[in-house]
Amino acid sequence: MQMRGTVAKRFGDDINTDYIIPAYLLQESWDKQFFADHAFEGYDPAFGPTCRANKESIVVAGNNFGCGSSREQAVYAIKYNNVVAVVAQSFPDIFFRNCLNNGLLPIQIIDTSGISIGDELVVDLDSHSIRDNTTGTEYPIIATDAAIETMKRGGFLGFVRERLRQKLKAVPMRAPS
Amino acid sequence: MVPGATITEKIVSRAMGRKAKAGDLIEALPVDKLYFNEVIGPPAILNFEKDFEDVYTESGKRLQVFNPSRIAFMPDHTVPSCSIKVSQGIRLMADFAKDQGIAMYKEGDGIEHTIASEEAFVLPGEIAVATDSHTCTQGALGSLAFGIGTTEGENLLATGELYSFTVPESIKFKVSGKFQRGVYAKDLVLHILGMMGEGGASKRVAEYVGPTIDSLDMEGRFTICNLSVEMSARTAIMNPDSKTFAYVNQALSRRGLTMTDEMRGMAAISDSDATFSKVVEVDASSIEPTVSLPHSPANAKPVSQVTDRIDSVFLGSCANARESDLTIAAKILKGRKVSPNTNLLVIPASRRVYNWAMDNGLLKIFADAGANIESSNCGPCFGKHMGILAPGDRCLSTSNRNYKGRMGSPEAFIYLGSPAVAAATAIEGRIADPRKYLPAGED
Repeated sequence: MQMRGTVAKRFGDDINTDYIIPAYLLQESWDKQFFADHAFEGYDPAFGPTCRANKESIVVAGNNFGCGSSREQAVYAIKYNNVVAVVAQSFPDIFFRNCLNNGLLPIQIIDTSGISIGDELVVDLDSHSIRDNTTGTEYPIIATDAAIETMKRGGFLGFVRERLRQKLKAVPMRAPS
Repeated sequence: MVPGATITEKIVSRAMGRKAKAGDLIEALPVDKLYFNEVIGPPAILNFEKDFEDVYTESGKRLQVFNPSRIAFMPDHTVPSCSIKVSQGIRLMADFAKDQGIAMYKEGDGIEHTIASEEAFVLPGEIAVATDSHTCTQGALGSLAFGIGTTEGENLLATGELYSFTVPESIKFKVSGKFQRGVYAKDLVLHILGMMGEGGASKRVAEYVGPTIDSLDMEGRFTICNLSVEMSARTAIMNPDSKTFAYVNQALSRRGLTMTDEMRGMAAISDSDATFSKVVEVDASSIEPTVSLPHSPANAKPVSQVTDRIDSVFLGSCANARESDLTIAAKILKGRKVSPNTNLLVIPASRRVYNWAMDNGLLKIFADAGANIESSNCGPCFGKHMGILAPGDRCLSTSNRNYKGRMGSPEAFIYLGSPAVAAATAIEGRIADPRKYLPAGED
């Protein structure tokens, strides 16, 4: 399975979810698109228009992208600006799992410094690698097989629905505590 | 010989009914306790209904959470409600809680991570998750607790399970040495964040051990675990001891309950030969009162090197607003006045702490000093409904995050410190060393 996109934005280390979507907006809508309209509002207001200029954008960052608050709205803010993947050197767990759950690819590679804005990247989940078509460089993806499988499925929802179905068949669902 | 296990590995093993070790991938991890705030609760409930209602219907069942007694709703971030949408969200949670038989706390009952321990909702040895990154606070109880997003929240409502969970490795922080006068748990953890950096504990559990940790009361332990997520730890944890059990017993007795053998049997501690990915030795006696400068919690400096002007002081949050925190601030502020150029905002971490502070005269000390006192909530740390900073404002906060824009304008400056530093700073209107204000003999 392949995804391709153009690098629209580059960030350094330790970009936290408060920068991605400020807290004061979190309770003001239950519509995911709302958060895309306010992505990086106080930190990099050009983020949305820049990413939306491509049909499929990719965001590149250094270490620890998405640290801090657990707010899943940070993933909506990125994804619904036409972003298909975030390529970074590391991700904290909560943000990584929030990405998996929403079909935004969290791609970890050892060193992102050779990737520039405007480069065309191809993410190949089958070969666990990404290729920078602009520079001709190939990078192995650091990920467990389970994470790659979840990326291919676009999240856990189908699995959880099946799991619930099985549990509802077995009555009682769980011994009462 | 079989190597020993960490407390984290033991808790997962207990939950799975089989031996689990760091690095193992668990397909479905059953969770013991699940709590929601009013930020993520409403969308999680709506998504739960949208994504699973048909599965219940086709099974001939009504929509029903996996186990209501293991779930709690705690509105705390922007309460009393600050907007129509927030009120709608809280109403949605209350209606759902009533329909499902879930405990719904009231606005002002307290900050979720404080209530979860004060109410003995989370117990030693349990796996607890909540839709907030500071869920790691419960690690001080010896529970494996961490934050989740909205989607995991809705999945957990349905099945009580977390999927594709990798058992994390642990970093051992071995802390020894006696604190200097005016140094508290907050100074220690800010110092550790400074050593490690914002990504320094990524993917691993920060496990704290050693004589300094043993000597701390539970409130100090909560503070340390709370801030551990600021070095991107998967979570933080401490091995339960007699203080832990005394705390939990007291919390249970306030609810007319006692600790059962089953509850006690859940608790685990790390084996002496457990495997850690790294051991970090910390000499607590060398630490001075510490502040983290804008704009990173890991930007720690001794308070003696900082004298910046401060417009606003916040004493509150899930990090530092329990009894001992308010006590030390009240000792410093007693008989003194807040600087005419500075606002001091005091927000106790729960209704219980608020009422305790009232009964014991602390609220009067704060009010006499010129503080603003609010009912329990997350306050300015959430940057939405009170104490919002303007461009150029400088705030000293006892909370856990000083990111640019966290409390309002991205052009404001946030410093983190202990309640003692907060009180001294409020008096002087600039970052101040608390040691000169401590009563003689106070450490």
